Amino acid sequence: MTAIGALGAVTANVRPVKPRQRGKVVATLLVLAAITVWAGLGVQIDLPEIVANFSNAVGNVVQLTQPDYGFFPKTIPALVETVDMAVIATVIGSAISLPIAFFASRATNPNTWLLMGLRFVMNLIRSIPDILLAAILVAVVGVGALPGIMALVIFNIGIIVKLVSEALDGEDTGPHEAALAAGASWLKAGRSAMLPQILPAYASQVLYTFEINIRASTVIGLVGAGGLGILIDNVRSFFRYHELSLIILEILLLVVLLESFSAWLRKRLI
Amino acid sequence: MADIQFNHVGVKYPNGFVGLSDVTLDIPAGSMVGVVGLSGAGKSTLIRSINGLVPISSGELNVGDHRLSNARGRELRQLRSEVGMIFQSFNLARRTTVLNNVLMGRLHHTSAWRSLLGAWQHDDVELAMSALERVEIVSKAYEKASSLSGGQQQRVAIARTLAQQPQIVLADEPVASLDPPTSHVVMRDLQRINADLGITVIVNLHFLDLARTYCTRLIGMREGRVVFDGAGADADERVFESIYGRSLTAADVLEAKAEL
Amino acid sequence: MAGTLTDTSSAPSLTNRPDKPVSWPSRLLWLLVTGIALAAYFSAKLDISALADFPAQAWKYLLLMFAPPNWGKLGEAFTAMVLSVQMAWIGTLLGIAVSFPLSFFAAAPLAPRWISWPLRGVFAVLRAVPEVVTAILILSVTGLTPFTGALALAVGSIGNLGKWGYETFEAVDRGPLEAVRSTGSGAVGLMRWGIWPSASAELLSLWLYRFEINVRASAILGLIGAGGIGKMLSDNVQFRNWDAVGMLLLVVIVVTMIIDQLSGAVRHRLIHGRWAVPFSTARRRPRSSKLPVEVPA
Repeated sequence: MTAIGALGAVTANVRPVKPRQRGKVVATLLVLAAITVWAGLGVQIDLPEIVANFSNAVGNVVQLTQPDYGFFPKTIPALVETVDMAVIATVIGSAISLPIAFFASRATNPNTWLLMGLRFVMNLIRSIPDILLAAILVAVVGVGALPGIMALVIFNIGIIVKLVSEALDGEDTGPHEAALAAGASWLKAGRSAMLPQILPAYASQVLYTFEINIRASTVIGLVGAGGLGILIDNVRSFFRYHELSLIILEILLLVVLLESFSAWLRKRLI
Repeated sequence: MADIQFNHVGVKYPNGFVGLSDVTLDIPAGSMVGVVGLSGAGKSTLIRSINGLVPISSGELNVGDHRLSNARGRELRQLRSEVGMIFQSFNLARRTTVLNNVLMGRLHHTSAWRSLLGAWQHDDVELAMSALERVEIVSKAYEKASSLSGGQQQRVAIARTLAQQPQIVLADEPVASLDPPTSHVVMRDLQRINADLGITVIVNLHFLDLARTYCTRLIGMREGRVVFDGAGADADERVFESIYGRSLTAADVLEAKAEL
Repeated sequence: MAGTLTDTSSAPSLTNRPDKPVSWPSRLLWLLVTGIALAAYFSAKLDISALADFPAQAWKYLLLMFAPPNWGKLGEAFTAMVLSVQMAWIGTLLGIAVSFPLSFFAAAPLAPRWISWPLRGVFAVLRAVPEVVTAILILSVTGLTPFTGALALAVGSIGNLGKWGYETFEAVDRGPLEAVRSTGSGAVGLMRWGIWPSASAELLSLWLYRFEINVRASAILGLIGAGGIGKMLSDNVQFRNWDAVGMLLLVVIVVTMIIDQLSGAVRHRLIHGRWAVPFSTARRRPRSSKLPVEVPA
């Protein structure tokens, strides 16, 4: 008895050696520093040039702080087109994504190959920035809102399918099993037993996508895909900074307004 | 009618666990059977093999005109539509209405586009309503399933199986999540289904006394085998030991537990 | 217990069929949403006829781009993509350098209101402006170089990183914070030992996530002239060198996916304390299944 007590006391009193974490930390920091130096060389950090440029640019800054409100009427069509693009893309994108999400979840699709294939395609879609997609689509279908909407729809499918299928994965599959036990096919069971369960998550995803679309649709026109972006491109190439600053003000207001609308809707729906 | 015949049936799971081994049983239509045993003894596997939720790996299992080993796709769904199932955790879609949950029992007979739009046929809605009336909960038809108590949810689940107009009802530990008084209500519902409608009822139970009270036939299982098969009255202390591998304690009896 | 007894035995009240309820608020909401969608569709005056031959067109262009892509451009495309990634890295680091200290001053338990609220406002405004717009603003002042592109990304990141920062700090368990405060520690000690140990994993993972976003954003910045993959893409689209565009897209997709997977793996390690296999979709057992997995004792 005493022996054990003594033994316990002895081991408790021995000062442990500090665990050797330092090597790992130092190595990680070194790698990060190396990446940073490499990246810094790549982007050619050059402060003097910026300073030189800045003194040239004071005029621009002054112009930017004085929006030209008289320009507003000319921006209205582009403003409306921006909202149109965001709304239409959200509606079409979320309608297409919902059924696909059911095929991209393990809970509602027993076919592993179809599942993996779909998930891979969705990963692929998400890795292409929406404006890049728009730049290509503009060349294919011509300048206007249509390529913008199409680019947004494709990008939306990528994100909604991912998020909704993950919601399905995390959902209790009991009701689904009950529907299967009643003789329903996988599809019918998914529609009846799983859809009601994930509807709130889906609605919230759709609104989130709408918010993303508003931001995207304000700038997607930079490559010719409709909306305020086309205007930005125009005034920028002619150095009309009074007008540029008005457009940016409009974007700011539009984003804030529509995001609060989306937040209000979210509260009503969920 | 839908007799159930197990002929040397074995079930082995992909992970190697043996769920059933060499089970031979004959359950005539209209029986009220209780299956008892420890958890993991194969009760769940036995019940789930009857509607093909667990595929059998050897032997022969016939349910009515269907042979389980080669039932697949359409035929399997046909069989499942004739066999209702009740689960321990109710398995209701909690975010939709009670009525929609009961109507899920009609999915097999509903066309794809109707189920897609939720445009149920009038006859099916009528059937679901009368099923809800039978379990005396019809006034909750348009409420969310999540707003119901556990006992009420299980009765909705029973209504869902009734809406299937099944010949057989399987109940997998239907009262394990309920308190004792509610357990008796649910068991009486099952008993009435059996007596009034002539539906075969097979129910897994942990508590021996519940099985003895409500079932005419008792099947005891241990390690995937049938170790007792007979009338409830014959299940004495010795039989109990062969099922549970020990003598009866208060934990095995619902009433004793309720008094604790 | 008594409640359960009564609600299961009080049969009469439960046996009357109810009428189908009608929810006016939700109907109005649907009407509103449909109305907005229709108004958007008709005011956009889309030329739908262009869609009719889109599948054929899309196929044609896919063939032009990818059958086969211009492998001769692989080196150039890869170099351009690397520059975009470098911009994203520097931009993220600069963004962190600015936002990290600021987010301490925006966190409610750490800073007085007169400083935290205005800061949050600044973050909110920065978040509302799309990165590209921020970039255009900054580039109109500094001129177009990859470094100014990185600067633009940094400014664009500040709003986002700042918000994540103060939210993470506020979610930190108050217990350790109190403990450190009770030792008489100053502000720096409070941050380093009261907050950082609980917030670091989450925050590092959010920083990495912002890096993933910036990789995409930097590709876009090229389109307005900041160099990198975007610039190369707009040049090639302009001259309709479709096979080069195909090569570029392949490089963008492959590099972005690799970065996402690497960063995702590190984030998983940070949050869950162990590595996850990239590209894995681990098989998940259905939660409700009661199939026995182990032999009973």
